[in-house]
Amino acid sequence: MDPQSTILLGKAIGAGLAMIGAAGGGIGIGLSVGGAVMAMGRNPDHTPTIQTNMILGVAFAEAVAIYALVVSLIILFVLS
Amino acid sequence: MNSFWNGKRRFVALLMFLAGVFVALRVPPVIPFIQLPGEKFPEGFNIPFTDIRMTNTFVAAVIVWILLLLFVVYIARRRPADGNEVPPGGFYNMFEALFEGLMNFVGGIAGGRHFRLIFNMFMTIFLVVLVANWMELVPGVDTIGFIHAHVKEKYDPVADEYKVVTTDGFEIYQGFLGISYVNGQCDWISPADEAAADEAALANAEVAAMAAQQTLIENEAYERYEAGHGDHGDEEHADDDHADEAGNDDHAENAGDTDAVAAARQEALDARSAEKQARRDRGCYTGVAISSWEDGYEPADKDKKKEPIPLHPDPRSEDAKRVPWVVLPFVRVASTDLNMTLTLGLISFFMIQYIGFKALGIGYLTKFFNFGTLFKSPLGGIDVAVGLLELIGDFAKILSFSFRLLGNIFAGSIVLFVMSFLVPILPWPFFMLEFGVGVIQALVFALLTAIFMNLATVSHHHDDDHDHAEDH
Repeated sequence: MDPQSTILLGKAIGAGLAMIGAAGGGIGIGLSVGGAVMAMGRNPDHTPTIQTNMILGVAFAEAVAIYALVVSLIILFVLS
Repeated sequence: MNSFWNGKRRFVALLMFLAGVFVALRVPPVIPFIQLPGEKFPEGFNIPFTDIRMTNTFVAAVIVWILLLLFVVYIARRRPADGNEVPPGGFYNMFEALFEGLMNFVGGIAGGRHFRLIFNMFMTIFLVVLVANWMELVPGVDTIGFIHAHVKEKYDPVADEYKVVTTDGFEIYQGFLGISYVNGQCDWISPADEAAADEAALANAEVAAMAAQQTLIENEAYERYEAGHGDHGDEEHADDDHADEAGNDDHAENAGDTDAVAAARQEALDARSAEKQARRDRGCYTGVAISSWEDGYEPADKDKKKEPIPLHPDPRSEDAKRVPWVVLPFVRVASTDLNMTLTLGLISFFMIQYIGFKALGIGYLTKFFNFGTLFKSPLGGIDVAVGLLELIGDFAKILSFSFRLLGNIFAGSIVLFVMSFLVPILPWPFFMLEFGVGVIQALVFALLTAIFMNLATVSHHHDDDHDHAEDH
């Protein structure tokens, strides 16, 4: 196999593997939003507080997925 | 103007649709050339009064600031004197409603002694990031730009040296109005590759010819065998004649052989020229036979990390066919450059520390270096560890701020590229998606800054403060 295609193959596989990390972020966001919606349903008076904390949590969970995305983007477009 | 368009606005959508169809048919779609760092402008486009080359993300950032300044001037001029009210309607009222909504929103989160400062930061970051993000929706951003020869050096790990690689890029063509386009349907093939393909086709033809020759020889041998053993056969009238002829008349037989071999060779060569013709039919030129395309190219110094000087042929010249081309957009969304997002992240990091010191004085440092309880309580050691973790966490905020925005917006613009390539006429749903993502990311960035600033103002010594104190 010629080296260029080998490198391309490695890059594609690596980028795909890196994106597995996004699954964790998805699970985290789902759990936190689910919990927040349940809490808001139970006591709507506390909606602003819960919402703030939910957005915080979602942003943190998403950040991990975005790290995975950035890693895979770097593998694809920056790594030579 | 208004009366003219009344009731006719739906035709605008129709016209846009038709324009999309026209463009999709007339102009071949361009596969985007994706690059993570901001792209540098060609020689001569420096930032005024400096030696630093401009990048297209820098241009976008400047546009963002200009737009925001105009916006501020407009709002300030439209703002009525105290006590007066503006009649409902118009851009100003929309902004007022938005402003009030966000003010209440932030007031619910960080309402307190430092509300003014926190809200100022919130609104500034929100507006900057919002305008920067929404620029990816403007047609022409990311697609109109310099057309430049894409010749680069890359490290070849196999040969352990820097090599000129030209794997990415497309052919160029002149469209209407003399504008140069990058032809997305024509991957650029280097003359060397083209020659190699020709050579391979020739070799293929030779192999086919040899195979034909082999078949002929085998057939002949078989016929001889048949002729030798066919004496007692019934139907030998034709075979006999043929065998006799073959025996007497070698020349004629050889001529027939050569014809068959030549036909096989020709067939293999025709496949190659058909391949070339198919490319030519798509409007690509192929088999450009120009000696060497590497002259004028100064190789990079491996040790000094010097930047290689690429070829800059005139797009209209014959030389243009020797190199692959890519578009270097005039404007690329500022948030897709790590420099921009990292700067915003640093600003928000410093504002968090600043407001912490402002609210708590030097005592703010006990949040990180909490030795006060080390010998007083049995859990003092844990407090120290928690403080150090807070310190690391604060620096991690810079990274998470910048990568979150960069990742989201960069991924979003790639989605827009790819969708515009796949569905050239109607990628609108994705534009709507990116519209939403732009707002949410701006809000998250600004909101997290506001929340962290609010957290920094809360003293960790007293447990009677806010319920946010236990957030993380």
